[in-house]
Amino acid sequence: MQTSAVYDSLHPLEINLLAAFSQSADKPVSDSSLQEISRLESSQVSMALGWLQAKELVRIHSEVTTAWVALTEVGHRYLEIGSPPEWIVRTCRQGAEEERSFTVKELQGLNTFPPAELSRAFGLLKKEGAIALGAGGRIEATGTASPTIEKLQTLLNRMKESPQELLSFSPDQQALLRQYAVKRGSAQEPFRIDDRVQREYTPTKTGKALAKRCHAGAVEEVSQLTPEMLKDGSWRSKRFRKYTISLRPPRVAPGRRHPYREFLDLVKHKLVAMGFQEMRGPLVETEFWDMDALYMPQFHPARAIHDVYFVKTPTHAETIAEPFLSQVAAAHEHGGPTGSSGWGYRYDTERARRLILRSQGTAVSARTLASNPLVPGKYFSMARCFRYDQVDATHATDFFQIEGIVLGDDINFRTLLGLLTSFAKEMAQAEESKFFPAYFPFTEPSVELHVRHPKLGWMELGGAGLFRPEVTQPLGVTVPVIAWGLGLDRMAMVALGIHDIRELFSVDLEKIRTLRGRFA
Amino acid sequence: MPTISFFQKDFEGLLGRSAPLEQLESWLPLVKGELKDYTRATGEVRLELQDSNRPDLWSVEGIARQIRIKLEGSPPAYPFLQTRTKPKRSILVAEGLERVRPYVAACTATGHTVTEESLTQLIQAQEKLADLYGHKRKTVSVGLYRLSQIQFPVTYGLVKPTEARFTPLGLSEKLTLQEILTVHPKGIEYGFILADQPLLPLLWDTEGRILSFPPIINSQDIGQVHAGDSDLLVEVTGTDMRMVLLTLNVFATNLADRGAVIDPIDIQYPYDTEWGKSIRTPCDISEVQKIPLKAIDSALGLPFDAELVQQTLRAYGYEVKASRHILAVRLPHYRSDLMHPVDVAEDVAISRGYDSFVPVMPAQFTVGSLSSLEMMSDYIRDHMIGQGFQEIFSNILLSHEELVERMRLPAGDHVVEVDNVMSQSFSCLRSWILPSLLRVETASPRAFYPHRLFEIGEVAIPDSTHELGSRTMVQLGVVIAHPHANFSEVHTCLDVLMFYLVKDYELEPLSHGSFLDGRAGTILSQGQSVGLIGELHPEVLENWGISVPISVFELDVDWLCSESS
Repeated sequence: MQTSAVYDSLHPLEINLLAAFSQSADKPVSDSSLQEISRLESSQVSMALGWLQAKELVRIHSEVTTAWVALTEVGHRYLEIGSPPEWIVRTCRQGAEEERSFTVKELQGLNTFPPAELSRAFGLLKKEGAIALGAGGRIEATGTASPTIEKLQTLLNRMKESPQELLSFSPDQQALLRQYAVKRGSAQEPFRIDDRVQREYTPTKTGKALAKRCHAGAVEEVSQLTPEMLKDGSWRSKRFRKYTISLRPPRVAPGRRHPYREFLDLVKHKLVAMGFQEMRGPLVETEFWDMDALYMPQFHPARAIHDVYFVKTPTHAETIAEPFLSQVAAAHEHGGPTGSSGWGYRYDTERARRLILRSQGTAVSARTLASNPLVPGKYFSMARCFRYDQVDATHATDFFQIEGIVLGDDINFRTLLGLLTSFAKEMAQAEESKFFPAYFPFTEPSVELHVRHPKLGWMELGGAGLFRPEVTQPLGVTVPVIAWGLGLDRMAMVALGIHDIRELFSVDLEKIRTLRGRFA
Repeated sequence: MPTISFFQKDFEGLLGRSAPLEQLESWLPLVKGELKDYTRATGEVRLELQDSNRPDLWSVEGIARQIRIKLEGSPPAYPFLQTRTKPKRSILVAEGLERVRPYVAACTATGHTVTEESLTQLIQAQEKLADLYGHKRKTVSVGLYRLSQIQFPVTYGLVKPTEARFTPLGLSEKLTLQEILTVHPKGIEYGFILADQPLLPLLWDTEGRILSFPPIINSQDIGQVHAGDSDLLVEVTGTDMRMVLLTLNVFATNLADRGAVIDPIDIQYPYDTEWGKSIRTPCDISEVQKIPLKAIDSALGLPFDAELVQQTLRAYGYEVKASRHILAVRLPHYRSDLMHPVDVAEDVAISRGYDSFVPVMPAQFTVGSLSSLEMMSDYIRDHMIGQGFQEIFSNILLSHEELVERMRLPAGDHVVEVDNVMSQSFSCLRSWILPSLLRVETASPRAFYPHRLFEIGEVAIPDSTHELGSRTMVQLGVVIAHPHANFSEVHTCLDVLMFYLVKDYELEPLSHGSFLDGRAGTILSQGQSVGLIGELHPEVLENWGISVPISVFELDVDWLCSESS
């Protein structure tokens, strides 16, 4: 950046500080001196120093760690009522004047100082000969002066106003200070020694060049244009501070679609564009519509208690609409008029009425087939389905199935493959697809669609087939019908950069706010 | 569907030619198989077989057979089906079994010395068929025995639970049938099949030696086959005669493919069966079916020549006689899955290969559209986003506690509950959206505020007048959470939404456990209740572990939709 451009971006505080350096002839200056010269608050100085360092206009010249001594609360108390040795000698002298003397215990009983402080003082005074213990443990002031009492008093007085650098004391005093300073294990001491870092700052080469242009209060800078300035025209005489626009702005949380919904919306609109009409169905279904109508025999292994969620109450629907119930029952038992041999077992109409949570989206297709669908017709649904599965990275408690049907007299195996080819292109941008034989109880022939996704490589995109006549005819449909289902969650997860299906329905708002998908 | 494993070398032996992995994979569509795993060092292959109606493919023998037929162009002949001589051996079925486990089928397999590998495969097939095809042994179960130790005729009879004793597989002491049902792991696992039966099925030979207690467990002495054995008895019992016969056919054919000589056994019933009172097993259970050629043509979308279809089906194992318009087809004896001509059509397509069909785009014109409910939901979604709300998308199975107790609703409040609960956390369908949004709030105290959330989604509302006992409804839930969230703020959001939906509404004071008294209302439109609004009760927030105030509303979208259409 050009020096002038840098100058334009300076904050008034920065200009003031650079001016302070300029006044000190660009010599190293400590932050306390800077504060004095610039007359800024100490927080302003440290803020502006931070900015100037970030812009490499100022650097730290030197960093000195010094020890400083200050009075603690205990120290202030000593100033007020005297230090413990001083207090002991004074109290004993006063007592002697009144012909009274004290034992150690009696002095402790006055509760002026904690016992520990008193015992240390006794020890000291005895050692220095200032007191002696007479008969009955009575304390007598000997009249010998205690040097420590005076030294302590001097120190306390020196720090009355403000902390002092430790090195400004004589070695003798320093030793005493250390002895009476707060340390681990003895918190009740009159002095505290702290390390203070003192820094001196000096402008960099660019900083020096800029400092020459700075003098305190040089310009009246404003940061915000106000309606008043516009009204009275005073903006003309103002200088608007230039911003550092490379800084990141504050975060906001906008109104936004859920990222997985965004993906499903895209699929939904593609399907509509391909001529599909949306169909919907209930979350709670009968076994009849969920499975029987799809020619899944009632003894089918996937209908057991460990595959489907059964409803607690009521357990059964009251009725199943006729003629569908009888016609589906006939198809199961012996094929009825469908030309099939049927499954050859006794169909249980009670079982048909059992209420469950919809286990497959095809239930919605079955209901559509039974309600006079358009021919030709294309339908799709995005149906919430439920499976009795242990929840893990690949299994959710409930999930969406995207599936549908195509009805028409031109429907056959080849048009089925044609439709799947266009799904491959539209849903996965795949130019290559492969078809494999598959098995579904309700379709024959059945196909599995594999596609070469431009990013994911070969993947299974869905399953499909032609509905068996045992499905369509009992529901009143006489034209052939394609049934298809797409498995798009893997594509959605890759686009969203997640690896656990549970995260599609995350409850973590921060995650929801920051998940982004590139679906196109 | 079953996953089986086998060794490539064994497969190649059965196929009669080498089969590198790539080659094997290219054949898998013929058996609807999906390669799950391949260990190059050992040549072990794991396959998932998709077709639940083709138990003949759930073994390496069956897979190799289907591919071999395709490579050779026609099915092999199995002499055990053609032989007319009366079997040397028989099984006598006792009176009363028609009420317990009516059917049995059996044959002997001699001359093939069982290897470790073929034994593993036999046991795998036995397990998969009994478990999946035989519905956990209920409909069909299979037993294998050392033939040398059995004196025919064998009796399939009934005994009292304490009457018979034998040493079951895996144990060293004799137990009564009663004890087996209560002590032996297999008795505990499969005892349900015989629950409440006063008499239990048992197989014993003419010298009174017990073969097995079907479908529970074989005897330790006779019913344990070892590698090195060369003469076997295979027996199948069950409740569905066709399935019992088919299962035996599968085993007989598998063993024949390994070089065993299969000798049929006569089964003598005291009661009538679909196949008569005396039946020789294995037997051909398939029937000739006549199928119009055009049924194949219209299903596959290609005009097929009768000759070509005949050739194609023979290469898939069928017996076929074709005239100009009619195909007389017969499935091989180890299949029983032809219910409708479409099943034949699929086999034609599989035999020819799906890739040989040129896709054609369906050409008929249709108009695409969204349901009015979805369009209304999209409209509201856009609006709420415009108001600065983040959309939430939730799982809709919640716990009863989340839906009712935490919301301070009366414990008797009805929601759609699951009977066979897997986890209490997913035991109920949500009856309103709000608890879903509160789950997000509970999980997200560290996401910066304000939180403005909404979700439009399905709920299930119990309704005894509805044929399904509940109605599936679409509702909008809205939550505002931040240190100063209040009624007025959320009311403004509702108000502006209703303005753009062109809906008049009013609020009627509501006393509701979830809300602070005097700060909640029913949303009324033309006298009808269409939602509610309020400030959440502090106790509700405590119950959810939330520490900011929250104001909410919930609105019925179905109503908006029926109103506008």
